Amino acid sequence: MMGVLAGAMAISSTLQSTRRRRHLSGLLGLLSCLALAGCNTRPPLPRMLFLSISINNDEAIDTRTLDDVRQRMKLLENGFRAVHPRSHFQFNLVPEAQIENLLAQRNQAGLAPDLVFVNGDTALRLLQRGEVDPYPITAQQLRLFRPQAIARLRNSQGQLAGLPVMVRTQLACFNRRRVPQPPTTINELVALSAKGRAIGISIDPINLVWSAGSMGGLRAIHRAAAGQQPTARDLQGLERWLRWLQTSSSQQSITFFTDQPTAMAELEAGRLDWIACDSGSLSRLYLRLGDALGVSPLPRGPGGPASPLNRLRVMALGRNSTPTTRQLALAFGRTSITPQSQRALTLGSQSVLPANRFVQVPVKSSSRLAAMVTSARDGARNSILERLIHGNDPRLPQIQALMTELVFGELPPQHASHQLVSILRHRP
Amino acid sequence: MRDLLLEICGWLAYLERPSVLIQVVLTVLLMLWTLHARLRRWWPQLPLLAYPLLGLALQALMSLGLAALGQPWRLAALLGQLWLGWYGIDLLMPLLKRYLPAARVRQLESRLLRPGYLLFSVVLLINTLDNINDLAVIEVINLMGVPVLAGKVFNAVLVLYLVLVGCGPPAAGLAWVLQKAVGMSDSSRKATELMLRYLVVALGLAGVAVHLGFNANALIAVAGGLSVGLGFGIKEVFSNFVSGLWLLFEGSVRPGEVLMLDGDPCEVRRLGLRATLLWRDRDNAELLIPNQTFFTEAATTYTASDRMRRSQVSVGAAYHHKPETVIALLEATALAVPQVLHAPAPKALLVSYGDSAINYALRFWIANPMDNSSICSAVNQAIWQSFQREGIDIPFPQHVEYAMVWPPERQQPNLGQT
Repeated sequence: MMGVLAGAMAISSTLQSTRRRRHLSGLLGLLSCLALAGCNTRPPLPRMLFLSISINNDEAIDTRTLDDVRQRMKLLENGFRAVHPRSHFQFNLVPEAQIENLLAQRNQAGLAPDLVFVNGDTALRLLQRGEVDPYPITAQQLRLFRPQAIARLRNSQGQLAGLPVMVRTQLACFNRRRVPQPPTTINELVALSAKGRAIGISIDPINLVWSAGSMGGLRAIHRAAAGQQPTARDLQGLERWLRWLQTSSSQQSITFFTDQPTAMAELEAGRLDWIACDSGSLSRLYLRLGDALGVSPLPRGPGGPASPLNRLRVMALGRNSTPTTRQLALAFGRTSITPQSQRALTLGSQSVLPANRFVQVPVKSSSRLAAMVTSARDGARNSILERLIHGNDPRLPQIQALMTELVFGELPPQHASHQLVSILRHRP
Repeated sequence: MRDLLLEICGWLAYLERPSVLIQVVLTVLLMLWTLHARLRRWWPQLPLLAYPLLGLALQALMSLGLAALGQPWRLAALLGQLWLGWYGIDLLMPLLKRYLPAARVRQLESRLLRPGYLLFSVVLLINTLDNINDLAVIEVINLMGVPVLAGKVFNAVLVLYLVLVGCGPPAAGLAWVLQKAVGMSDSSRKATELMLRYLVVALGLAGVAVHLGFNANALIAVAGGLSVGLGFGIKEVFSNFVSGLWLLFEGSVRPGEVLMLDGDPCEVRRLGLRATLLWRDRDNAELLIPNQTFFTEAATTYTASDRMRRSQVSVGAAYHHKPETVIALLEATALAVPQVLHAPAPKALLVSYGDSAINYALRFWIANPMDNSSICSAVNQAIWQSFQREGIDIPFPQHVEYAMVWPPERQQPNLGQT
């Protein structure tokens, strides 16, 4: 009996030792493969940089948007890849309103992009929420930008949310065949509509605020957005703007749209002759309208020049990069703000302006760039608003609802102005 | 296509990040460990379904551990959730088997639930790594000047798959409603169901073509090219397909119809795109006959206008029985057999005067042509019993054997022997 037991134990131990030996040899094989893989002389693997690029909330992600962004990125990539040929870029487009949630989820998964291209105000919010790393800008780089622009990108600890790369502006886009001479004033715009030319105005607050500057309503908006009560004179200017909007809605040839893409589609289809547009949409419009696309600064009015919103686009750093990709991302940032890259970007895209203040824009050779520079200058008046109201501000839908009531004549301008001030003063 | 492939290959670069690699490797190791433990039955007292639960619990612990250490954890948690969903389908199967036949449940699992869940998981994973909307607008191929986008191709394949796999139950339901409303027969209902399925598939194909952005001219050009291909290459397949459609519309070969094939009645089980499936009662064989056979060759059917069949049995009665007595008895006997229809009434006939008997034929009607053999057997048995009861002989030829002696003069009279 004992002999049988001893035999069984011997067989069992032999089996176990055989299994152990097999496992050991497997492990050794694996280690040898890894060692050999480390010793081989294959060319190094390409370095991939992941980018998330925000687009306007009302912009659709389609082939044209993708091509447009790809073309603009190519202008920045070309210079960079001449120095870093093994680098590759993979980017995805995200509506501005979704970028915070997306980054929060990606950070938790370890899949955050290495670089994030967003509006300056969004980058600051992302930094405050810890979704991006502060940008380690050098003193030499700092000198390239306007101090006010840099100040708007710093948090309370003085950390920089992102590196400014380009500026998008708001312009007037029109059909040259129907409007040979663009209106330079509000009165000319109204006269144009009286001649039967179809004018489109979007009541989305971001795309409507330009007219507040022309009609004198901007000061009241700034004061209210800063939490102060506007003066009686400012309120008069605000009412004048709102009255103009209500009066315009009764004009046969002026149509108000609830969103910007619809107005753009109408211009592309030839059913509208004049709209306010974002410079980022110029390539898209040009594809459809060709040389018929005309671009000019937005019309000034009794209140002064128009107040378009400039969007400073910045490059923020994602949180999950490896040390190598982080270095690569910083190198890409350095290359993107060089005068050569900035000039190539401006001239190649004809839809953005350089963030580097030392880059001269050739306004004489391009009417489009000239219009963009004028709009950027006019928009500088609106920089306070840019800081106080960001793209995802919950007050924006309330303002849009108010404007809808106003243009449909359901609310007198006087009441609308008080309500607008009240909405703006309640900061979320 | 190149852009799409580059985009997909680019995701591999995430594995360079240690935090991503840890989540993926730990999850895969846990899955393999669970699979190994289940196959080897490491703990025999545990039911098989409990092993994945154990793996999932460890996966959840791992995710929590990573989160507690301040490391990225969401990818591991997502993989765990997807694993849980896959396991959930295992748990769902016994429940479904309570309400549906086993074969239907297997079909549902393999054709809809598992592929659907797999697709959902892939989309979810892609959306975690990338933006699915960006991928959707990447151009895969340019067909005749029409850019075909990845998203449209995906939608088209999905719709086609759902149409092909999922149109069965709705078509059956609609055909059933039509049967109740119009009062059509069962075979017509089955034919209607099949036609509805073909219609949905055709509409699905057209819808997919329109969704992909093909214009009518391009489709006509494709059809022109295909017609040449059809003429030379797949003539037989196309011929069978068209024959099948024609037969379906004509109504001569529908599921439930009974056709004579090589002298045997066969029931049509399914009219497919290429071939018709018949069932032969005699040996329980299923026969796959190309559709064009029925289209080009003569076929005998018992179910074209109604399902009745006139059957016949033959019997002989002795010469000394009066024919009118035998005829009346035969007709009464047939009526007594339950499967024989009373209207039209059975009819017995005196067919001929044979060598040893008067030959009679008994003709009667039955409701189901597939039951012919068994009913004929029942009628023959009933005739034997009624003839015995009434004392009617069924004569049969008799043979008398003589022992011959040669030469014949030496033959002795063999009296008393027959």
